[in-house]
Amino acid sequence: MKHHILNKIYHVEILPPKQATEKLHEDLDSFVSKYNRVKESGYCACITDNAMGLLAFQGTEVIEEMNLEVNPNQVMIHLNTFHTKEDLDNILTTSKKLGIKYFLVISGDGSDRLPKLQPADVGATGVESVTSVELLKYINREYPGDFVLGVAFNPYEPEEHEFEKMCRKMDAGASFIITQPIIEKNPVVDKLLKIYPEVPVIIEAWMSKKLHLLSDAVGYEIPEDTEFDPLATLEQLHLLYPTCGVYLSLLGFKYQYDKVKGLWK
Amino acid sequence: MKIVVCIKQVPATTDAKIDPETKRIVREGIQAILNPFDTYAVEEAVKLRNQFGGEVITLCMGPPKAEVSLRESISVGADKGILLSDRAFGGSDTWATSYALAKAIEKIGDVDLVLCGKQAIDGDTAQVGPGIAAHLDYMQATYVMAVDQVTDDSITVKRMHEDGYDICEMKLPAVLTVVKGINIPRVPTLKGRLASEKEEIPVWKPDDIGADISKIGLDGSPTRVVKTNPPPARHTSSKKIEGSPELCAKELFRELRLRSIL
Repeated sequence: MKHHILNKIYHVEILPPKQATEKLHEDLDSFVSKYNRVKESGYCACITDNAMGLLAFQGTEVIEEMNLEVNPNQVMIHLNTFHTKEDLDNILTTSKKLGIKYFLVISGDGSDRLPKLQPADVGATGVESVTSVELLKYINREYPGDFVLGVAFNPYEPEEHEFEKMCRKMDAGASFIITQPIIEKNPVVDKLLKIYPEVPVIIEAWMSKKLHLLSDAVGYEIPEDTEFDPLATLEQLHLLYPTCGVYLSLLGFKYQYDKVKGLWK
Repeated sequence: MKIVVCIKQVPATTDAKIDPETKRIVREGIQAILNPFDTYAVEEAVKLRNQFGGEVITLCMGPPKAEVSLRESISVGADKGILLSDRAFGGSDTWATSYALAKAIEKIGDVDLVLCGKQAIDGDTAQVGPGIAAHLDYMQATYVMAVDQVTDDSITVKRMHEDGYDICEMKLPAVLTVVKGINIPRVPTLKGRLASEKEEIPVWKPDDIGADISKIGLDGSPTRVVKTNPPPARHTSSKKIEGSPELCAKELFRELRLRSIL
């Protein structure tokens, strides 16, 4: 992952088609177009896993079904705990077969329609539910050396709890960190960088103009009419966090994509 | 084992509206989904088929666009789908609907087991499953929470009730209506979804199933809806917080802070 930072490789979020879509083929074409564009730019395509609990097709199955070329350095799959054991192993074995090596392992957002991994599924004992920690341990145990696993860091959570959790994630085998979106210098992220100077940290840049959509993540209400310039903020983040990688969430492919290209100097 | 699953396409609940004139559900322009309870019936059928062999046929009565729900069932493992669709079926109540479905099941032939969701989320009657059993003179169990055992000619299930459950052994063929919790329905795969688009869905009309036209549609329906009133909208929501007590407390604190309660 350090290679990504040294070579200024953006991590670009791509959402796979939703299960409920009535225009599946159009959505698949759009996914393929975004994926290939990211690949041609030399960036890393980061494919979400039922983001916000909304049912979507898995990144691995879309890549496989659409015969997309995989450069191991240019694909990252999000993997959360809302799967059956069978699905989990299917995602991991398919990824191995396709040459995908990067995973962002997260607890994730569930929904009534999504199954949840049970402790017994991942061989976890002494816990009531499976979190990213148990999932990390499982992957590292069952697929040793096959994948590079990253974890999420939320600077808006109670600090002590979040750092304690990060410690357990690192012990479980995480080797890089992606933060929740930040829009300015964040003292908790600064602390993270001090505690883990050797671990590659990728900060998430919010690329939607609708800043109020971040309310859930930050834990307080952001007014709907808040003005926000994602590109200017991204430039600023590069200056504030020159040693970090950047994950672009909700990047607009129509107008924004080409504009971000020159921003990481 | 030949299993027929009766499914229904329903309006997404929050969008349901009643036509004040006809007293029937307005379906035009409203998002339609596979009745959530039927997803459990389909999953149970697929599991039984995977365990004992045979085939799973999904059967749906509805307008042509209900074909989408049949394809959804195929994408999660059903072998084929059949649509009962004709203007003559329109306006059928639960008795006429169960008659039409029963006639279709007779036409399919050699059916060992009929599965239904416990009820549809639009009508909420829970009558169609038992109606099918009555028309076919099959044994039935409603509110089934587990299938315990299947032999060549019998099935043993747990039937849920307020105080626990009954263990019921029935001769096959039989009708079961299943509750949420009997299984975890699988999520369609992309491969399954794409394959389901290629499946041919036969459309059967009353003549195809030998239905007596006087027993279907509005004329064949003894139910008369005199008046309908929507229930008052619910403004509550719930979220389950899981994990250790400490984590739950922190998450609860975060949620309350998010809603500006704290």
